Amino acid sequence: MNLLIVEDEKNLAAEIESFLKKENFICDLACTGADASEKIAVNLYDFVLLDLGLPDYDGLDLIREARSVGSEASFIIITARGAVEDRVKGLDLGADDYLAKPFALVELLSRINAVARRKFNVNSQAMVVGEFTINIQSRMVLHSGAEIELTRKEFNMLQYLVLNHEKVLTRHQLYEHIWGNMLDDQYDSNFIDVHIKNLRKKLNAFAPTPWLETIRGVGYRVRLEQ
Amino acid sequence: MKLKFKLALFSMLSKLAVSLLFLIILPYIIERINLRQIDYELIRKREQVIDLIVQIGIEPFISSDTTDAFGSYNILKEEFVSIERINQTEVVNHIDVSPRLIDDEEINYRVLHYSLLIDDQPYLLEVGKSIESILLAKRNINRVIVFFIILIIVLTLITDLQFTNILLKPLDKITGKLKNNAGPGSFDKIPVSTTTADFIQLDRTLTDQMIQIEELFKKEKEITVNISHELMTPISIIRSKLENLLVREDIEDAIIIKVEESLKTLHRLQSLVNSLLTIARIESSQYLKNDIVSPVEVILEVMAEIEPVAEDKGITLLNNCSDDSFVQHANRELLFSMFFNVIYNGVKNTDSGGSITITGEVLDGIYRFTVSDTGHGLTKSQMATLFSRFKRHESKTDGTGIGLAITKAIADFHGIKISATSKEGSGTNFIFDFKKTS
Repeated sequence: MNLLIVEDEKNLAAEIESFLKKENFICDLACTGADASEKIAVNLYDFVLLDLGLPDYDGLDLIREARSVGSEASFIIITARGAVEDRVKGLDLGADDYLAKPFALVELLSRINAVARRKFNVNSQAMVVGEFTINIQSRMVLHSGAEIELTRKEFNMLQYLVLNHEKVLTRHQLYEHIWGNMLDDQYDSNFIDVHIKNLRKKLNAFAPTPWLETIRGVGYRVRLEQ
Repeated sequence: MKLKFKLALFSMLSKLAVSLLFLIILPYIIERINLRQIDYELIRKREQVIDLIVQIGIEPFISSDTTDAFGSYNILKEEFVSIERINQTEVVNHIDVSPRLIDDEEINYRVLHYSLLIDDQPYLLEVGKSIESILLAKRNINRVIVFFIILIIVLTLITDLQFTNILLKPLDKITGKLKNNAGPGSFDKIPVSTTTADFIQLDRTLTDQMIQIEELFKKEKEITVNISHELMTPISIIRSKLENLLVREDIEDAIIIKVEESLKTLHRLQSLVNSLLTIARIESSQYLKNDIVSPVEVILEVMAEIEPVAEDKGITLLNNCSDDSFVQHANRELLFSMFFNVIYNGVKNTDSGGSITITGEVLDGIYRFTVSDTGHGLTKSQMATLFSRFKRHESKTDGTGIGLAITKAIADFHGIKISATSKEGSGTNFIFDFKKTS
């Protein structure tokens, strides 16, 4: 997929690019609003990651412009301004998602994937993990046809780990994904550990879960390739 | 009590006082004037009688036969003149009021006593005039005055109320503006139309102050946006770099742990900055208050969120909320945060086997929610700094210790009164008083 990163912090742009390239995205960079505006007019992008705090441009104007030239790119706003109404305004202008800096790169990836699924109307296939089948669309976890009852949080956590399989997710990344930034101050690694413990208990009642690994001192990982 | 009623009441009471004084003094004055008039007439009558005696002598008045006295009353017993022979020689000349019994009827007269000497014989001349009519008039006048005073007081009370009503209407409008004011930005800046200089001054001052506050809020907003940008961007860069390290497969486990530790520290910095910015945003009214929220619903949601962790720790969460009311002009997300902070705080400070009880009740004009834990309780010095920033109470968790400061800011933002009571060793109660909105 074709993606434009609009970010005046070259350092950050490079990190995002390096991460997304590994995920097989074709990335383009624009460090100024003018540069971005030109690139959007000329190229067809599937995604634009847009930093609102550009020195020469109001990022929100860029969305308006893109729409006026008929660009069908999906906009994901990334901003450190954190003003409450930026989010509302951005989404009103047709941005597809909004991420406040600093964000986890895996979170960015999973937002892009979620928008892609919506955009290309892909009904994600059921994923097979060990002896379990996870159906993302219907939010069900099955073991040889039997449904395993999970709480919303447990399912979200499992889904996030499975979608980011082979990657180590830190407790904080998991926490941010599930609780958002709102309860940032109350972040307690305990929350994640308790939910994983309960999740394991429920799954282990059906079959062992060696694929759900605890990475000591770091976090958790789902391994599909054994 | 409203100002207009106070003004009307004061004016009524002052009129009442003046009227009462008038009521007490006036009859006395009238009586004095009347008596003076009568005294003057009595003296005139006395002169007439003396003139008559000079003309025709004393004999026609005094028949020497029996009584040696003369008395004459007019038909209605309004006046009388009497002359009698007396023995004493001292001079008498005074006026007094004395009752006389005439035909079994006692009548009060104003009587002039006057002694005169004719042919070396002393006589006492008495001229009297009935004062019954004066007493009657006094009673009548009293009645009429009372009636008029009541009438005047009632009439002026009505007109006073009407007048102060009209006079104070601009003040009502100004207080109305303040009452409906959701924040300095939404203050009605159209001047209230009035000719009263004080109200114009008040209105103008209020509007100016609101504009000033609004501008300060705007500035603070800009500052928070800038701080946010300046601080979050470097954090974001470091974070992305570290996370990119984390996904590399050629890195040893020992380094991964170091990277994760750095990320943890970075997260503490991030969450600290975020918390401070959150407080600044709340305090400068950057959050919307557009939600109608059921606090009980939010509490249940918070409880569901915390339940797994509490259960894991062996702590029971009890819900004792009966009333399900709604709060207007609220920010649901913030209220969630507020309850979450306090309830989770309780879980952190309570040992296994303890419980957290959330009670919701309707008291006189308020909804009260109490979060009580059976935890360690707080010392006096801890209580004193409970809602201050950066005062950590020896908790061993990952928080920055700013949670209760955020809670306080959210409560203030919503006009919720928050307080805490605690006994060392036997738990802490957090009390949230919501104002009841109609």
